[in-house]
Amino acid sequence: MIKQITTITLATAAFLALTACSGGEKAATAKTYKYTTVQVYEKSCIKCHGAHGEGNPAKKTPALNDRTAGEMAQDLYDVKNGGTNQSSGTDHEIMEHNMQKLIDKGYDYDVDSMAEFLSYLAKNQK
Amino acid sequence: MCILDTILKEKPIETTYIKPQSCKINHFIKMQGKTMEKNEILEDILAEVDKHPELMSRRDALKFMSVSPVAASILASTTVGAATAVASDVKGKVVIVGGGLAGMSTAARLKSSASNLDITVIEPNELSTSYQPGQTLVGGGIWPKSELVYKRDDYVPSGVTLVKGSVTSFDPENNKVIVDGKDEISYDQMIVATGLMLNYAAIDGLTGVITSTSPDNAETKKTVGHDGVYSIYFQDGSEDTWTGIEELIAKAKKWKQGEPKLQALFTHPNTPIKCGGAPKKIMYLTHAQLEKAGVREAVELTFYPNGGKMFGVPEYHEAIVSQFKTRGFKWNYAHNLIKIDQATKTATFNHHWKEKGEWDEDLEEYGVELKNEEVAVPFDFIHVTPPMKAPDVVAHSKVGSSKGWVPVKKETLQHVKYKNVFSLGDVVAVPMGKTGGSARKQYKVIVNNVISALENDQKAIDSTNSKYAGYTVCPLVTSIGTVMLAEFNWTKKPTPMVPLDPTQERWIWWLLKVYALKPMTQYGMLAGRA
Repeated sequence: MIKQITTITLATAAFLALTACSGGEKAATAKTYKYTTVQVYEKSCIKCHGAHGEGNPAKKTPALNDRTAGEMAQDLYDVKNGGTNQSSGTDHEIMEHNMQKLIDKGYDYDVDSMAEFLSYLAKNQK
Repeated sequence: MCILDTILKEKPIETTYIKPQSCKINHFIKMQGKTMEKNEILEDILAEVDKHPELMSRRDALKFMSVSPVAASILASTTVGAATAVASDVKGKVVIVGGGLAGMSTAARLKSSASNLDITVIEPNELSTSYQPGQTLVGGGIWPKSELVYKRDDYVPSGVTLVKGSVTSFDPENNKVIVDGKDEISYDQMIVATGLMLNYAAIDGLTGVITSTSPDNAETKKTVGHDGVYSIYFQDGSEDTWTGIEELIAKAKKWKQGEPKLQALFTHPNTPIKCGGAPKKIMYLTHAQLEKAGVREAVELTFYPNGGKMFGVPEYHEAIVSQFKTRGFKWNYAHNLIKIDQATKTATFNHHWKEKGEWDEDLEEYGVELKNEEVAVPFDFIHVTPPMKAPDVVAHSKVGSSKGWVPVKKETLQHVKYKNVFSLGDVVAVPMGKTGGSARKQYKVIVNNVISALENDQKAIDSTNSKYAGYTVCPLVTSIGTVMLAEFNWTKKPTPMVPLDPTQERWIWWLLKVYALKPMTQYGMLAGRA
């Protein structure tokens, strides 16, 4: 069964600020993914990165169980966006390319959710 | 003498905009040392608008200002003078490592939000609160360097302790830092705001690892700021860059039709950088000055970024590509500067690309192989954006990370390992950060979360309602007189409200950049209010 999950990302929107207003108002952007985070991992990521995110030296695929969820979220953001800066490029050239192919196949995911899941996997391995 | 006046007395550079007639430098000096009333900033802009009713009415100017988040805050009473968050009577010791824009603004807002806090700022550099965003305008010949220089000691908030020294080691497990190798300072909450290092030495042929206002930048100046090699990323270097552009103009005046064109190169490295737009802004301003001097056709301007696009947000990427085409710029993606030979005036780049690899049955696609080659390019003028890194003392400590930057949960800015450590500004690892505009959003989040952490006895603050959404702003100076105000966040969507087209270059944003952002930063943000 394929479950539709929707992640709400909050974007700070512009606010008409002729009146005193100290916080940004929020505008919601909804993004729907074909598979859940766990499904994406178990259908795709696991093939190269292993059941516990341990990586596969033979394939030169890196381990994903060696950093905190916060750090992983940064790396996944870089992979999915091809960099985190205007023209600096990405730290993950090969995975950036592969990720775009995987997104085309439906293996897209929410960065924070995947980072949390990987951190859970790593903890349960030890 | 006002440089802006000098420029504007000459013939118009383009006809699509009108330049401001007066220079506000004296105005800024006049304002120094006194609290700024909110309307002074707005009135500066509106006064300019009023001089050119044929371009824009006062009403339209206000309309534009209200749809951009950063401009709207100029209109808002929150800009200056307004009360900050609800006052807290929480007690505790907060140490802020670094007293630049991020650290000092945080100190000011913390103090005004929780006056019982014992707050210490540790900062060795007496020019740490200088106005860095103006370095582009100095390099482009719009402002004199004196516009940028602001002293740390004038910005220490009342009731906050300043330690004039450098943290030499972090000990987050025991909640303390060591200053200058000897003095121990302990804390309940620590905020890391050291800023970053400009790593010129990482490029073969260049020297020195400095900050934008390092007093000891002699090593870098040996190789940068003369003989065709320039960089606006440090304060002195920005002044030298304008000298370099003037020299380029002088050379271009001797150029004759049929001769090879003079080569001006502009680089963007493979690391995260502060002010991601500056490598392009200085290119736009060089172009504008060459045009103004009537010698644009003598020079070829080429952008060499390590990455493969102009901007992470597709709308802005496309706008910049079209601006480049209009101006006759060239660009070569995936070129990372690795070497400069000043004697032969040759820059060497690592050019990299992907080729189709073997079939990957796990991926169910062909994989890719990375290829690269060295490319040598002769130059008459090169603007170097240096690789940047976290200070070694941070990177190699327990609060650092393998990449150096301080790892935090990007929404709360709380350290991924140490609950009582937060980080903001150029040293923090968040996507698309490293601008004053990012810091301006981050410091309010940190103040709320630090107070909340103290009040709730260090519980996880993920449930707090104060979260950073990745907002940043890049006022991309596209000529003398126009700016594209790129505002966006992690959703990678332009943040100004429709129906305004955020990709347009506008005179009103030039006024915002040249007249409003500095007073907002120096008088509003550094006081913890804007």
